[in-house]
Amino acid sequence: MITINGKDYEVDVPADMPLLWFIRDRLGIKGTKYGCGMGLCGACTVLIDGQARRSCIMPVAALNGAKITTIEGLSEDASHPLQKAWLEHNVPQCGYCQAGQIMNAAGLLAQNNQPSEQQIDDAMQGNICRCGTYQRIKKAIQTAADELAKEV
Amino acid sequence: MKPWLKHTEAGKSVVVDSSRRSFLKAASLTSGGLMMGITLPGFAASGAASAQEYSPNAYLKIAANGDTTIYVGRCEMGQGISTALGSVVAEELEADWSRVTVLQADGDEDKYGSQATGGSASMRVMYTRMREAGAAAKEMLVLAAAKAWQVSVDDCVAENHYVLNKATKAKLGFGELTKVAATLPVPEKPQLKEKADFRYIGSDLKRHDVDLVIRGQRVYGADASVPGMKYAAIVHCPVLGGKLKSLDDSGAKAMKGVSHVVTIDRYDVPYGSVGGVAVVADNTWTAQQAVKQLKIEWDLGPNKDYDTDKYRQQLVANVEKPAKVMAERGDLDAALAAANKTVSATYTGGHLCHAPIEPNASLVWVKPDQIEVWASTQSPADIQKVLADYFKRDKKDVIVHVMISGGAFGRKFKCDYVHEAAVLSAQTGLPIQLTWSREEDMRTGYYHSISAQHIEAAMDESGQVTGWLHRAAFPSIATLFDPSHPYAPKGHVKDIAEHPFGIVNFRSESGEAPAHTRIGWYRAVYAIFYGFAFGSFADELAHAAGKDTVTFLNQVYDNNGNPKQAEQVARSKAALALAAEKSGFGRQLPAGEGMGIAVHYSFQSYVAMAVHVKVDGSDIEVLSVDCAVDCGQVVNKDGATAQMEGAVVMGMGLALHTEIHFKDGAVTNSNYHDYPVMRIPDMPQVRVHFIDSDHEPTGLGEPGVGPFAPALANAIFAATGKRYRDLPLKPRMT
Ligand code: FES
Ligand code: FES
Repeated sequence: MITINGKDYEVDVPADMPLLWFIRDRLGIKGTKYGCGMGLCGACTVLIDGQARRSCIMPVAALNGAKITTIEGLSEDASHPLQKAWLEHNVPQCGYCQAGQIMNAAGLLAQNNQPSEQQIDDAMQGNICRCGTYQRIKKAIQTAADELAKEV
Repeated sequence: MKPWLKHTEAGKSVVVDSSRRSFLKAASLTSGGLMMGITLPGFAASGAASAQEYSPNAYLKIAANGDTTIYVGRCEMGQGISTALGSVVAEELEADWSRVTVLQADGDEDKYGSQATGGSASMRVMYTRMREAGAAAKEMLVLAAAKAWQVSVDDCVAENHYVLNKATKAKLGFGELTKVAATLPVPEKPQLKEKADFRYIGSDLKRHDVDLVIRGQRVYGADASVPGMKYAAIVHCPVLGGKLKSLDDSGAKAMKGVSHVVTIDRYDVPYGSVGGVAVVADNTWTAQQAVKQLKIEWDLGPNKDYDTDKYRQQLVANVEKPAKVMAERGDLDAALAAANKTVSATYTGGHLCHAPIEPNASLVWVKPDQIEVWASTQSPADIQKVLADYFKRDKKDVIVHVMISGGAFGRKFKCDYVHEAAVLSAQTGLPIQLTWSREEDMRTGYYHSISAQHIEAAMDESGQVTGWLHRAAFPSIATLFDPSHPYAPKGHVKDIAEHPFGIVNFRSESGEAPAHTRIGWYRAVYAIFYGFAFGSFADELAHAAGKDTVTFLNQVYDNNGNPKQAEQVARSKAALALAAEKSGFGRQLPAGEGMGIAVHYSFQSYVAMAVHVKVDGSDIEVLSVDCAVDCGQVVNKDGATAQMEGAVVMGMGLALHTEIHFKDGAVTNSNYHDYPVMRIPDMPQVRVHFIDSDHEPTGLGEPGVGPFAPALANAIFAATGKRYRDLPLKPRMT
């Protein structure tokens, strides 16, 4: 049994199937993307018990009892500070990498809500954006961090 | 000419004579509301304007409640065209942007004109037509209001989704007016707005669907699904022209969840499958795993010895000796003989793979009476053509739902992956979602050409360039349509002779370069290596002449006495000046730092870049990039800025790191670890500066890529005194 965006699911697929494909093909929740299948691009990033992880290399059977958050579950109404900052900076181009970018940034901010530029680079370097939105991603993470700092 | 050549080359950069009037048509909708369309000359709309039958190239629909829908025929892949074209209609309509929905149109070139999205042509071709559609609808709404109030149209004005009665301040909403408006004649020549009155054009309007992205709800080709569909994965023959020799699929078939193993033969048309073996299963994971269980022997065929390291050397040899003359001006040999100084250099570049983050993906359902396709694509008409030819169906029976592409960069112009999904669907009788693995994406591409160029220049005592020999050798895109081309034909090297530098004595030559793989358009296409050679060599010449690069470039442009190129010269120089000014080009920098500059004209836009680097051994840190852009009237400033940011990222990746290698006929790269595209820590500060221009807008998807690599190489030279002439340059640095 695993919990995805607050709903419980029985794991009824081969044990070695990565979480990515369980989410996408078995459950039909398509916001989490496939880009490389080897943990190299970050398009498949989700939160597993609050930590940003690559779902393409996470066998679903190993996640019994885990709480998973995908982009669809980050907030009810796109009100997460990162989602608002992404809107403000008009970050996406094609958008395909962006769920992974946002979820990875969410993992970062959950651990460190005032990351330095260097810390942003370090945390985000596993997420490829082939369209080249990096400058905006950085700004949006800083904006979201500023808002989180105000909330505290 | 092969029919394919004609078809595709026309599709790639459709030239529509803008002096011919578009025909606007309108009709009322059965549900109430107004539908407004343009019929492009040569793409006749079907039927008259009857409410039920009305089917123009429907750009614009205003419902009785005022909700407005704009259909964009051009394909969205992240370049922002749907927002930009949508906003152009909204501008002239005086619409409230928040009431406007932009939808991607299905594939139908009879309705929408060419939907082939490439060549940075969409804005250039569609701008005025889209404005006219919006303006005509607005005039009809205003006339409807004038009739309702029984006043003159001059007493009415459209404003933010209403028509206002100037005298009484009464207002009627667009929705309320559609019923009458739809019965009015469509104005022949609607009045377009003055630039000073623009509120959307030239602004920073946000992408219309960014909201969907941040919720994870934008649907790409890879996400398309219908009930009952199965998932597929594929492995291709690793060498172009090879064939299947033997297949043992017992291991794959034994896997739980696998339903079919299908051999797909090569379909030898430019956008057909190269041939491979596919597995159909309950999910993508099982299909991908099963593909790995296939035991396949390939007969590798005539290209089995292709080796890019050797091939690059061969290209260099071919440009360092006389080759086929393609264009000539003046007397180059005399100029070289009389030169005070001659300078020469050879530049090379490798194959590139587009590697959009969404690999090739589509869902296809071949039904008895119809083929239905949901695909990330840049050219729905090519899908219709390929599938109609292959299955001997009518093109009209191939329905293409254009899904947004998760990046494309030219790769998704070619629909081999859709063809494969269609074969699988036909064989299994099921709707099939085929998503290529990243490995297959890298190994089965339509690659950017590997290239070599050799330039020799003659200089007089004052450091003026008096002659220029330019030899290029690269397997051209022409080989995709006719593989027998031994060297790049005229049309593919014309940008060399047409470069706006003023060179009186000039010759261009094309060296032997047969193709051993599929060559295709890659963002910026030939501007990548032409931009690199022209931009680098100009800097080398400036140093040889003892002049500052900007001064030298201005002189070379000023030597162009061809009146037909006067505009190109002036606009190139203006872009150069702006980049130099904004970057502070020429200022004193700390040791180990340097600045380089380059300007390139491509796809009818002008981009100059000044790159500031810090070099420490083989460590290159790009600190900042100032981009100066003249793309005519800027339609969406934020979107245009994003295109330049993206061009820098792609330009930097190909300048420093990315190259596709072939060995024994096959690609040796496999995934992002050995095709290292740029990542966030390498991102420089990018500043984008636009030239305020009254020229009609031109595209910006590609023109930013060309000038980056030369500006970078020039900057590294400024910092270190070392000249790098081979791309990508990082693996060659010591
Ligand atoms: S798909 Fe998981 S990291 Fe690329
Ligand atoms: S927005 Fe296209 S890959 Fe990031």
